[in-house]
Amino acid sequence: MPISRRQVLAGSAVSAAALASGFPAPAIAQNEPIKVGYLPALTGPSSSTGVGINRGTQLAVELINKEGGIKGRKIELISRDTQSDPTKAVNAVAELTQRAKVSMIFGPLNSGEALAATPLIARDKVPMLHPCWVDELIDVKKYPMAYRIAPTNTQVGAGANYYVVDVLKLKKAAVISDTTGYGTASVNTYVPMLKAKGAEVVYQNHIDAANPDLKPEMLRMQAAGAQAIMPWSVNAGFLSRICNTRGAMGWDVPIVGQTTLGSGQTKALLEKPEYWNKVYSNNFRQVCYANGKLPPRAQEFVDRLKAAKIEFGDTLLWWVALGWDGGMMMADVFKNAGTKNDDIVAYMNKIKAWPGIYGTVTWTPEQHNGFPDSEVVMCEVNSLKDGAFNLAPGYSA
Amino acid sequence: MLVSIVSYGLAVGAVYALIGITYNVMFSASRVFSFTAGMLGMLGGVLGALFINTMGMNAVLAFVLVMAAGAVLGLVTEILTVRPVLKSIEQHLYVLSTLAFALMIQQVTAIEYNTEPQPFPVLLPIDPNSWLGIVDQKFWLPVLACVVTIVGLELLYRKTLIGRAFLAIAEDSYAARALGLPETRLRMASYAIAGVIGALAGFTGAQMLLAFIGNQAILNFYGFVPVALGGMGSNRGAVIGGLALGLFQQAANFLVGGIFASVAVFAVFIIVLLLRPEGLAGAAAARRV
Repeated sequence: MPISRRQVLAGSAVSAAALASGFPAPAIAQNEPIKVGYLPALTGPSSSTGVGINRGTQLAVELINKEGGIKGRKIELISRDTQSDPTKAVNAVAELTQRAKVSMIFGPLNSGEALAATPLIARDKVPMLHPCWVDELIDVKKYPMAYRIAPTNTQVGAGANYYVVDVLKLKKAAVISDTTGYGTASVNTYVPMLKAKGAEVVYQNHIDAANPDLKPEMLRMQAAGAQAIMPWSVNAGFLSRICNTRGAMGWDVPIVGQTTLGSGQTKALLEKPEYWNKVYSNNFRQVCYANGKLPPRAQEFVDRLKAAKIEFGDTLLWWVALGWDGGMMMADVFKNAGTKNDDIVAYMNKIKAWPGIYGTVTWTPEQHNGFPDSEVVMCEVNSLKDGAFNLAPGYSA
Repeated sequence: MLVSIVSYGLAVGAVYALIGITYNVMFSASRVFSFTAGMLGMLGGVLGALFINTMGMNAVLAFVLVMAAGAVLGLVTEILTVRPVLKSIEQHLYVLSTLAFALMIQQVTAIEYNTEPQPFPVLLPIDPNSWLGIVDQKFWLPVLACVVTIVGLELLYRKTLIGRAFLAIAEDSYAARALGLPETRLRMASYAIAGVIGALAGFTGAQMLLAFIGNQAILNFYGFVPVALGGMGSNRGAVIGGLALGLFQQAANFLVGGIFASVAVFAVFIIVLLLRPEGLAGAAAARRV
């Protein structure tokens, strides 16, 4: 029977329609796990953050997989310890994006490694979620698939400035740092912000953190009329010396600044426990006690941690909560957008008021910094209980 | 202000002086500038905190163990990093070998101990209201250690036969060896003594400087300044240079503050070396032509 041209065309059209609409994909692709690259610093000098965050991430992924995964697919967390070393992070990125072909990357968890790794992740067009504070790590033009689930350095500084000027109603501040890149950049960024709020920066300096005696600096601050000291450093030795010197001088001035002010390492170096009074460090409203109680979401999370016997008294609640939020956010994205990078980006660009434990996240196509200013607060460092702190005095519950 | 400059200045200066003496004792025995001096100081504080705070030892036992550890590290330095270099023609390799050994020990300390500064306990239970407590022990302990060290070394070098043998080696090792002095063993003994002095500096200064791996670089650097100021090999010069450095540094902290204090210290250091390259107490080296 001769076959006409019309019959061939009709048959091709039917075949194409069948292919497009109907044939089931191979079963193996439906069941294979969703690969997620994970870059925590679990060892090395900056690992305390990574160790805390890791507890939350592992718990979230464990729970998602235990409950059947995402539409039947488990999440496979391919974890590579960056060892607090940017070189190791860069090597791990190449492995995760090019060989393991991960659908998304959570991390690096430290800014140093993220600064090195982010351009490479962007080059390989893999969606990325990270909790690092350095402002430059989010840029929708340079890194269109990178999203931040934490505040920026600017928000952190603004939180401290707001507390000094608007809550404590103090107008004269001494802003100091150590001589590291982080410290000097923070002072240079926050001082103009403070002045823009109408405060007077009566003393500003970068100080050698190794200097064992800070009394000369503190005397100069006192003589300049400082009503608050704002130190920007992650060096526990430096911060504890500020507290000790203030205590020895009998100077009743609040110290308001970076989260390390409230760390166990700083506490261990205090000459007297009372030298930690009137010290306020950055923290986050959703994981702070207000009138002795955590917000409901955080309390539920703490109960879950206790039930799962996850240790968090030796770390900070917000680190563990951040790790949990990272895991849960990725699960939410895969569930609603699948694993194709363009679909992931389209979905993440529309996320609005996502209720994390650590913070409430909103992204838009133009803004991939998702943390609200209102949730960056200060806390009382001497109130640590179960990894969380009281809101600093003056905030409304 | 004056009290603070004198108390802190002398205390920090005494630590610098002791590290300077550590450099000198090693240099005199081998003509090698061993950059392990800062490492010994750092370990004096770290091991002290480890033994007392973490392991719960009493201060006297911890002190003895820290000094023993310093002596052993001094010996290991001599055997591993100095002796092989002395055999080679390119003797300046000691810069690499001693620095590499010091960095290796620092990294091991970071991995096994802590990368953050740790508290160092108050060693002597003195009532701060008693007359003994007028000056905090964190200030007078390093000064006392410095005095004991310099007096001990003077007695050793001047009153004992073995001390004279050390001086003979320092003066002319070839001639000393020709006279039958056991140069290698004397050099090892010198390195062990240097290890003890370095560890003593760290142990007595740790209430002020804390137990911290970062102290290694600071002590290596600031400990070298009194040696250069006082003249290489001169212990008295190192003490004068160290105390002067501490006082000047603390005065600069008060007068200019911030990072400018360090700039002031090194500006004076460079000026002194330009005016007297052989150091304040050193003699200009004559060279036969």
